[in-house]
Amino acid sequence: MSIVNKSIRELNALFLQKELKPSELYDEIFEVTSNSEAVIHAHLKLFENENREALQNADKRFEDGNSLGLLDGIPLSIKDNINLKGSNTTCSSKMLENYVSPYDATVISNLKSQGPLFTGKTNLDEFAMGSSTENSAFGKTQNPWNPDCVPGGSSGGTAASVSVRSSIAGLGSDTGGSIRQPGAFCGVVGYKPTYGTVSRYGLIAFASSLDQIGPITRYVDDARILFEGIRGYDSKDATSIDHEFIELPSDNNATVGVIKELMEEGVSEDSKNEVNKVVDILKNKGYKVKEISLPMIKLAISIYYLIAPAECSANLARFDGVRYGLRVDGNTSYEMMENTRAEGFGPEVKRRILLGTYALSAGYYDAYYGKALQARKKMILEFKEAYESVDYLISPTTPTAAFKAGEKTSNPLEMYMSDLCTIPANLAGLPAISIPTGLSKEGMPLGVQVMSKALTDHSLLDFSELLENELAFHDLPFAWGS
Amino acid sequence: MSDDFNIQNIAKLASINLSEEEQSKLSNDLSVILEHVQALSDLSLDEVGEIFIHPLEKELLLDEDEVRVSLTHDEALQNAPEKNEGKFVVPPSLE
Amino acid sequence: MSLKPTIGIETHIELNTKTKMFCRCAVVDTDEPNVSLCPTCIGLPGALPVPNKKAIESITLLSLSTGCKITNKGMFHRKNYFYPDLPKNYQISQFDLPVGLDGKLEIVLDKEVDFVEIERVHMEEDTGKSTHSGSGRIDSATSTALDFNRSGVPLVEIVTKPTINSAKQAVAYIEELRQLAIDLDISEGKLEKGNLRFDANISVAPEDSDQLGVKVEIKNMNSLRSLERAIEFEIQRQSKLVEKGETIIQETRHWDESKEQTSSMRSKEGSADYRYFSDPDLPDMILSDEFVEEVKAKLPTLPNQKREDLMKTGLNLDQSNTISKSENWIYNMYLDIFESTQDSSGAFNWITGELQGQMRKLEIENLPSWFESRLLSEVIVLINENKISFTSGKTILNEMLQNETTPDQVASEKNLYQDNDEESILNFVKETIEENSDIIERIKAGEDKLVGFLVGQLIKKSKGTVNPGLAKEFLLKEIEL
Repeated sequence: MSIVNKSIRELNALFLQKELKPSELYDEIFEVTSNSEAVIHAHLKLFENENREALQNADKRFEDGNSLGLLDGIPLSIKDNINLKGSNTTCSSKMLENYVSPYDATVISNLKSQGPLFTGKTNLDEFAMGSSTENSAFGKTQNPWNPDCVPGGSSGGTAASVSVRSSIAGLGSDTGGSIRQPGAFCGVVGYKPTYGTVSRYGLIAFASSLDQIGPITRYVDDARILFEGIRGYDSKDATSIDHEFIELPSDNNATVGVIKELMEEGVSEDSKNEVNKVVDILKNKGYKVKEISLPMIKLAISIYYLIAPAECSANLARFDGVRYGLRVDGNTSYEMMENTRAEGFGPEVKRRILLGTYALSAGYYDAYYGKALQARKKMILEFKEAYESVDYLISPTTPTAAFKAGEKTSNPLEMYMSDLCTIPANLAGLPAISIPTGLSKEGMPLGVQVMSKALTDHSLLDFSELLENELAFHDLPFAWGS
Repeated sequence: MSDDFNIQNIAKLASINLSEEEQSKLSNDLSVILEHVQALSDLSLDEVGEIFIHPLEKELLLDEDEVRVSLTHDEALQNAPEKNEGKFVVPPSLE
Repeated sequence: MSLKPTIGIETHIELNTKTKMFCRCAVVDTDEPNVSLCPTCIGLPGALPVPNKKAIESITLLSLSTGCKITNKGMFHRKNYFYPDLPKNYQISQFDLPVGLDGKLEIVLDKEVDFVEIERVHMEEDTGKSTHSGSGRIDSATSTALDFNRSGVPLVEIVTKPTINSAKQAVAYIEELRQLAIDLDISEGKLEKGNLRFDANISVAPEDSDQLGVKVEIKNMNSLRSLERAIEFEIQRQSKLVEKGETIIQETRHWDESKEQTSSMRSKEGSADYRYFSDPDLPDMILSDEFVEEVKAKLPTLPNQKREDLMKTGLNLDQSNTISKSENWIYNMYLDIFESTQDSSGAFNWITGELQGQMRKLEIENLPSWFESRLLSEVIVLINENKISFTSGKTILNEMLQNETTPDQVASEKNLYQDNDEESILNFVKETIEENSDIIERIKAGEDKLVGFLVGQLIKKSKGTVNPGLAKEFLLKEIEL
């Protein structure tokens, strides 16, 4: 097996045993990059040469036996909506094309003290709004399994990179499924932690009450390690939680629920089959499996497409050409702002800002945003009730496998419907993971999603790892390495 | 969607200068989306009780009033599209 | 038609916390632009707000001391509008669940106690500062320069109910609110520095009507004087229009200090739609009963309580109000002097009259370190015991303000002690009468005013060593003889 396909733990062992140096792994990774990037376009910016000094230090640390931990020397890709001091953070938008971050996001400063190398900043749907990475202002990213297909979004760049192995693991962000869906489309693990366990300070906000940063990785264990490396209470983020995890059984003492509403119409047969495959495995191993109904899920898209745009309409108001970013001139500052925002934002971003502005406007608050908040609460209560009788909930991650580029761009609603399975976890703040389970009839990866109640992240990862071992899904897109 | 839905007013509130083509496309898009979310308004949701801002119902923690130095003057202005004598400069803003 | 004015005042108080409301940048007072900034207060992408505990304590103190109900489960809202000095193009504020609700503030108006009802007290953040260059007038500026040092400074907004009825009442209200903020030590209260800013809402309606007229907002009043003038002007302006049968336009008007009038500002289309919604970056703010009790324990003596205490010493309302609105050292000095002399009017007059007057003349801003209250108490006692004259007291005070000395030292050196020996006074009296026989005749004929002249003559003769009161007493006795 090429070293780029190994897990973080395996690589760390090789480093510690001095059978491999971080710089050697790095060169292998960049070999893949140079072969794949021109086609896949996962990265907006690559840091190949910027890391030379850090690499030397990493090599030396292992030589001297002074490793900083499991992530030391590991090449990671970072979604380009996370601030990395001294480099561009563009959110794949013309608005921030030349913006240079003057500060590090908390997750970045957490990671820096553990020694990983950042391969570069990855492509995304502009301002994290989208499910295909087609909304990037700087070109599309292709799905490594089939270049005609999308990698998913909005963290399509990171998912593609991890799938192709131009990084060992990476960070994405998830607001309505933006880690899990591209994970499923690219055949890798995508994990959205419990809301509040990972700091949002330095993550360029889309929808504040829904956004979380999380790992996209090849293996569940890698996701666990990366999660440990980034999580923690942060006093600079008032929504951050000083957390302690709740334990659930991950062995067959656990009860698993299959979400009825996500096994009905609107979801492809292939996707349902994957869930059934997992159910069979669980039953064979003696787990209790039952059907759980969560009626509010049918309204998830409506709730989400009121709350998220409303929050983003205010979060993106700061992009006005005054203090940073693109500026298009005007005779007055109002004109300048209006022109700047007209040119700086792409159509999907404009769509959501206007939708959100309308939902909050005088006379419409109660009917739209106010209603959505109540409905969200009702969904949270439904989940709470469900978790009284099950430990884990499973469903398909996506209604279908990766669709073709351009297939869903004409009708916004059609694109939004592809978030059906993932949105509920964001609305309820729950931890949720997608693990690759198999291939569709067309040979494209499919994933199954597992969710559990808030702050049971460790158990969720343990349970998912057990499934991963049973599924033994090791398929890869063609090898881009040497 | 309401009768007085006016894409120009909304664009004004959002401070985005839309072309005519954009106005008509977006007006359409929004009406499609709003039609879909109508289903919510038919719901009676009075029994959900107290709404919390944080999905996990966390409370706000207050921070001690102690100075933490952050950006230097140069760092704060490093991305300024226009600056003069240490200030950000914009076209005239009317009251 | 008899019209009555209705006035509501919105006041913003800048808190004197060390750091800003939603970030820990230092609050600075400097002309150097953009020196105290962080991602949060300049609205960089990815920045987040974290609330200032001291600011919340301060607003709770203010709410409690104005008798407001404290909202136990409140929140912050985003007030959305675009303006270059507002970095996020929304201001974090509070909408329907402010910290304090339904209070009232005791004020002193026309020497009587009155009240102004308070609608709400809420927390928000300040904006940056714009400077328009070009010809200086905002509507012909060529560019605008922005300094964000002030962006994010904590502001408390206090809104009264529309129950103020005169410009004078409005001024008395602001004076009281300002003093309260100073006494609570939550603000410097300096109007000239913008620590306290206010806007007024004014309408007029027929005397017998229970409906309010059209409300006009007045901005840009920078002093108490302009507040009073602006309100009076606006009441006049609206009254004239109503009497002519014309309608008042609901709008915002600008007080022009030099022209002494309000004028229409550039009109905005309709009223602003701020699209308030609860800020998802800031969870619900729970102000528990324990927290409120802790804050209550920090309440100092409030101005109205100070006034009551002062009146108990024998001062009237007006005098008590003056002392309660003076600097703290004056309040403390008054109480000290009263304690040792039990002479409330003496203490009041000496402190507010002579002491402050002489300090002004000598251009002394602060009392010298050696000047303790007891020094002035001693002067007052000496006068009350007739040991020195009032004039001598003034001289002694003047000396003590400039040199470290005591009343006794000065009186001895300058020979100010009065002769109260009966025999020597009688001698002076006899001499004076002898030298002024014609005056005596006129006094006996009924010209009582001339007694004062005689007393003055005696004082001169005795070189100020005779107590004037006694001099008069003895003179009159002799004349009658």
